[in-house]
Amino acid sequence: MRPISTSALRPYVCPSCRYARVSNRRRFGSKPAPVTDIYDVVCVGGGPAGLALLAALRASPATSKLKVALVESQDLDKARSWKLDPHQFSNRVSSLTPSSVSFLQKIGAWDRLDVSRTQPYQGMEVWDGETGSKISFDWSAETSPFEDLRTVATMTENANLVHALLSRIAASGDENLSIFSKSTVSSIENGAADGPNGADLSAWPVLSIAPAGPARQTTSPSRIAARLLVGADGINSPVRRYADISTDGWDYERHGIVATLSLADQVPPLFPLGTRNAYQRFLPALGGPIALLPLPDNNATLVWSTTVENAAYLKSLSPGAFIAMVNAAFRLSMPDLQYMMRMERPSPSVTNLDEDPHESELTWRLQHTPAPSHLPPMVTGVQEGTVASFPLRFRHASTYISPRVALVGDAAHVIHPLAGQGLNLGLGDVASLSSTIEYAVTHGMDVGDILTLERYTAERYATNAKIGGTCDILHKLYNVPGQGPVAWGRSLGFEIIDRVPFLKGFLMRNADS
Amino acid sequence: MAMTPARPSMRSISLLLRPLSRRSHSTTTSASSSVSASEVSHFSSLASSWWDPMGPSRVLHLMNPLRHEFIASCLAEGSPESPAKQPGSPPNTLHYLDVGCGGGIFAESLARTIPLPGSTESKSETVTRAASITAIDPTTTLIQIARDHARKDPKVSAHLNDGRFKYVNCTLEDVIASSPNTNQPSDPAAAIGAGAGVRRKDGFDMITLFEVIEHIDTNAHISPLTFLTDCLRLLKPGGWLVGSTIARTFPSWLVNQVIAEAPWPIGVVPKGTHEWKKFVNPDELESWASEGLMRSVDLERNSVMRSGSEALDGMRWKCAGVVYFPGLGWKFVPGSESWGNYFWAIRRGV
Repeated sequence: MRPISTSALRPYVCPSCRYARVSNRRRFGSKPAPVTDIYDVVCVGGGPAGLALLAALRASPATSKLKVALVESQDLDKARSWKLDPHQFSNRVSSLTPSSVSFLQKIGAWDRLDVSRTQPYQGMEVWDGETGSKISFDWSAETSPFEDLRTVATMTENANLVHALLSRIAASGDENLSIFSKSTVSSIENGAADGPNGADLSAWPVLSIAPAGPARQTTSPSRIAARLLVGADGINSPVRRYADISTDGWDYERHGIVATLSLADQVPPLFPLGTRNAYQRFLPALGGPIALLPLPDNNATLVWSTTVENAAYLKSLSPGAFIAMVNAAFRLSMPDLQYMMRMERPSPSVTNLDEDPHESELTWRLQHTPAPSHLPPMVTGVQEGTVASFPLRFRHASTYISPRVALVGDAAHVIHPLAGQGLNLGLGDVASLSSTIEYAVTHGMDVGDILTLERYTAERYATNAKIGGTCDILHKLYNVPGQGPVAWGRSLGFEIIDRVPFLKGFLMRNADS
Repeated sequence: MAMTPARPSMRSISLLLRPLSRRSHSTTTSASSSVSASEVSHFSSLASSWWDPMGPSRVLHLMNPLRHEFIASCLAEGSPESPAKQPGSPPNTLHYLDVGCGGGIFAESLARTIPLPGSTESKSETVTRAASITAIDPTTTLIQIARDHARKDPKVSAHLNDGRFKYVNCTLEDVIASSPNTNQPSDPAAAIGAGAGVRRKDGFDMITLFEVIEHIDTNAHISPLTFLTDCLRLLKPGGWLVGSTIARTFPSWLVNQVIAEAPWPIGVVPKGTHEWKKFVNPDELESWASEGLMRSVDLERNSVMRSGSEALDGMRWKCAGVVYFPGLGWKFVPGSESWGNYFWAIRRGV
């Protein structure tokens, strides 16, 4: 953690700006440009977490009078005009828990979402590909016949959410609000001891904001001071580096493959009609689980965590072979899958094949594999250009706060996606931080003071550590291949959870918090 | 387990200290000094860590938001403003006086709620509805610490520059002795004496007295009663005098003297912070406050006739107990005022 004494603060200078700063100094001497503006809250990063914080602050009457700014390197105009064909879906989709949804409702962002593009699901089938033991999460046992079936989570495209948040922020007016789009933070340093109004800003972060791209050389950066600087700037957070907050973690040496898929009709349909299920099968022999999460109509989004080599192999397959592999991954045994993962790929020049070798391999092997009752419908298509992969990592900052600094979302924690909790944790951070700021404003507290911020870290640190840690343990448990004692133990755990209704209800309520 | 209050009261101990740099026109004699030399050195040693959030004043810092909550509850019960308020008049008009501000923990937090002129905030009613605050403390070093800290916030610093927020190094008696100013931020006509320019002609709307009353030594010249009387003399009709203190009971002795001042890691306040026999029970405080109200009315009228209970017409008394839970902070706990820390308030009848 950054020590409180100001002399120990280390400025953050973005790597590409270091040279420019030196030449700048040579030209103008060592005196930096004066601070042009002082903001109450400056948020670096305009992803879902940063925008949700801004929207939450604008929505509450107590905090709506705060002077706030947001800095984002991407062009937010593109996100504002986001429009996709109704039959197409982005591959960046998040599973929002009911508490995330109610937070978004509370800040008035949910109404601005294109709800026809979201898909709630009420049940979840999770099973172990090695032992076949299974656990079904659904709310039917917990819901009385007189109320609607409870939702496990709602699948929402990130672009849809960002679009809704931007529209909510725009609706709050532009008084006391500055959005620096297509701008990068070129440096964060402490202010001068002789600031405006005779104020001593030597413990205040001062950001130099320069337009991104070619305009950078010609325009002089604006310098703004922040009462509270919020880092919503992702895994390599510059704000975290400025605050000198260390972060612990490891890379899983796994990649997550995502894709937008279309499915065959569900036969027989789920009861009650209109309900949807999510499916997840752990594949210990391939390095992680495969999950299929529902999107509107017969579409679904895929998240398949697997080894880096498998991910590269899957991405290189033709659409037909890729679909065959996804269907196989939900149905075939581990040895069958390992075999198919090493099959020769037909060279691109051979185009006159009647059937892709992966497809015929799957058709043949399925005839000899018993089918359990909880399988998802067959995948029939993959939307062009949606197959992508990203590295899986675990990170947790040593603290989320420092004087005049708070971290939210990926800047504070990055977790394994197997429970789909990443964005939910980020929104939980934002809900907590915005209510902390609201409390401070109504109680005469300085919103950047450590006494204010410690309420936030006290509320979130243990929760995030618990969920991140659980995902990490599940990942490790389900990477032990074969039928050894670990496989036996985890099957026993699954069976117990599945059969004891009280325990399952407890877990489901916990997953939602 | 609920633990009562272990609250260091350093902010206020200095209230009655004779400032070392006192000038000769002082209105009080040294005989009325109410704080012992050992207490002076005790609190001076803590001065540098006053604003350290992890330092010895931490428990006091944690209590500050509850002071705002209690003040908001007083304002909700009765506004110091006259009921015939014009619809178009400015929304935040209350003038605050913080007596015994110490390092400025409360005064600065209140100053932060004053909107800057022309800002969006100034167009609507704030929680404290504050227009100005004057904070007094006789200890020069503490006033200096308070001023230095206020400079670290540009908003508070702007208020200091423009006179909406003032730190004055004087005693309550100095303020009483000075002539009321004419409500200008700095009236040169009244600039005589240490408390010059503090007193307002039509009184203050809100006077705060946090963690002060239990540090007053009773002697021939000063007692909690004379002290409260002086405060009430500066209060305008309809205004509130708000404070906090600790009840003198066995649990408060155990918690404040035995547990809270125990050596690390049990104790949370420095040894020598409290003197249990000076703690004040709510019923004692209420009777002093009523008596003080009658005396202040007498002094205002300057008549030989003692005013009776009509001085108490429209008076309001309220108190609310608070308990410190280690790890959770301070919480309002109804009923705890009879044995532990509590907030109290008296409203002068209109």
